[in-house]
Amino acid sequence: MSATHLQHKIHLFSLFFAVALVFVILYLGDVAEIVITAALLAYILEPVVLYLEKKGVSRTASTTLVVLGIILGLLLISMTCLPMAFQQLKSIKSGDMGQSSQILIKLDQAIQEYAPLFGIKNINLDGWISKFQSWLSDKLPEILIHDSGSVLISLIMVPFVMFFILKDNRKFKKYFISLVPNRYFEFTLDLIHKMEVQLGNYLRGQFIDAVAFGIMAVITLWFLDVPYFLIIGAFAGLANLIPFVGPVAGATVAFATVVIQQGELLRACYVLLAFILLKLIDDILVQPLAVGQHVNLHPVVIALAILTGGHLFGILGMLLIIPFLGFIKVVMEEGITTYRKYRFE
Amino acid sequence: MGLPWIDFFCRCNVDKEESDSRKLLSQIPFFANLNRRELAVIEQFLHQREFQCGEYIFRQGDRGLGMYIIQNGLISVVSEPENYELSELRDGDFFGEMTLLDDLYRSATIRAKSECCLFGLFQPDLTALIDRDQSLGLKIVMQIAKYACQRLRVTNDKVIALSAELAKLKKSFQNSGE
Repeated sequence: MSATHLQHKIHLFSLFFAVALVFVILYLGDVAEIVITAALLAYILEPVVLYLEKKGVSRTASTTLVVLGIILGLLLISMTCLPMAFQQLKSIKSGDMGQSSQILIKLDQAIQEYAPLFGIKNINLDGWISKFQSWLSDKLPEILIHDSGSVLISLIMVPFVMFFILKDNRKFKKYFISLVPNRYFEFTLDLIHKMEVQLGNYLRGQFIDAVAFGIMAVITLWFLDVPYFLIIGAFAGLANLIPFVGPVAGATVAFATVVIQQGELLRACYVLLAFILLKLIDDILVQPLAVGQHVNLHPVVIALAILTGGHLFGILGMLLIIPFLGFIKVVMEEGITTYRKYRFE
Repeated sequence: MGLPWIDFFCRCNVDKEESDSRKLLSQIPFFANLNRRELAVIEQFLHQREFQCGEYIFRQGDRGLGMYIIQNGLISVVSEPENYELSELRDGDFFGEMTLLDDLYRSATIRAKSECCLFGLFQPDLTALIDRDQSLGLKIVMQIAKYACQRLRVTNDKVIALSAELAKLKKSFQNSGE
């Protein structure tokens, strides 16, 4: 087969795959979201199940134990974090902004003094903040309740699908490979194996990186006496998975919490500095060790992907789009490399 | 094993009836020393493939990925480009086992002479088996290595014998020339 013919085949296949992907996302978005989340979690948890299998536990029992462990962990976290979240909502609704009111009063005074010099009049900072508080306290429950149906379905379906992917992934793989014609059989087997190794390592590395960053953030924020250091640290760890946006989001939330709750601008600056240091440690030390190879996509591609993921699937989309792109990239690269090793006549 | 919860937790739920593939595996030298449970584990990693008469299983020079065991049918081993048939394989025979250990190129072309049903065991699956059960994986790899060494010794003996025969022929040719 000539090189040009091979290239044409690859382009055709890529086009078909892209069209199929767009169709799935547009018409089966919710289902695709559940399956992709479950599949990614299954990849991350595979080594744990394999470890139990090596000890002589059956695949079914290993999977059951791991999934039950995850569910229990999530329940424990919910039981500790949800009351805190409701308390926060209550304090926002009651207008209790703590020490920040001192800063806001000073800011309001400064605006009233200097704004007219620039020809700006009728600025009522206190009025704006009150309106914002009122809007937030009314809108936030509405947003949570509006999406709670799909969140509930995801909370049930994701562990359910993940359990069967973990338990039966060998059977699914074997069945899928049995459908491939003899001519492409060994090529497909080789490709799937390489994909699993590459993707599994990348996803687990990202997960370890997120956990490591989260733990470092929690310890740092506790040391700096930042309120709700546990939630903010966990959020920062999770947000670290989103390139560009994530680290900034984590630092912003921590900064805003210190300003709003404690009114200490200097401590808020220390928090910002701490996040910069944490990000440096993450980029220099943790990421190379945990993740190793990167997806190696152009920053513009990453930025557009994050925007697209966020538009289609919200925050979950922003979190999952980069691992998903990594998966596509691995499929294309390994597919081309492996295809060249086999002769198809 | 009467209690179902033991079967749930332990990897010991082996069918009492021996399947065709397990009987076939027990005839292969690499798997001859394995017990029923171990053969059942390997059975999970086998791929069953069917080939039409005249279809190529693989070509000489292709990248090798693993071995095939003939369940039923006739296979022709052919040397290219001369298209010379080196041998014929039938039920219970196997081929391609060396590529379980290395990933070099296939040394001959294998073509189905009749409709065939083959079982394949491939490198990625052997790797997964070693990950899952290291002692069983090591047993199989040692057996394959032993088999390869035996074949190498037989080949060495043949080469020595042929070299001696060639030297004799050279000498007699020189003597007759004189």
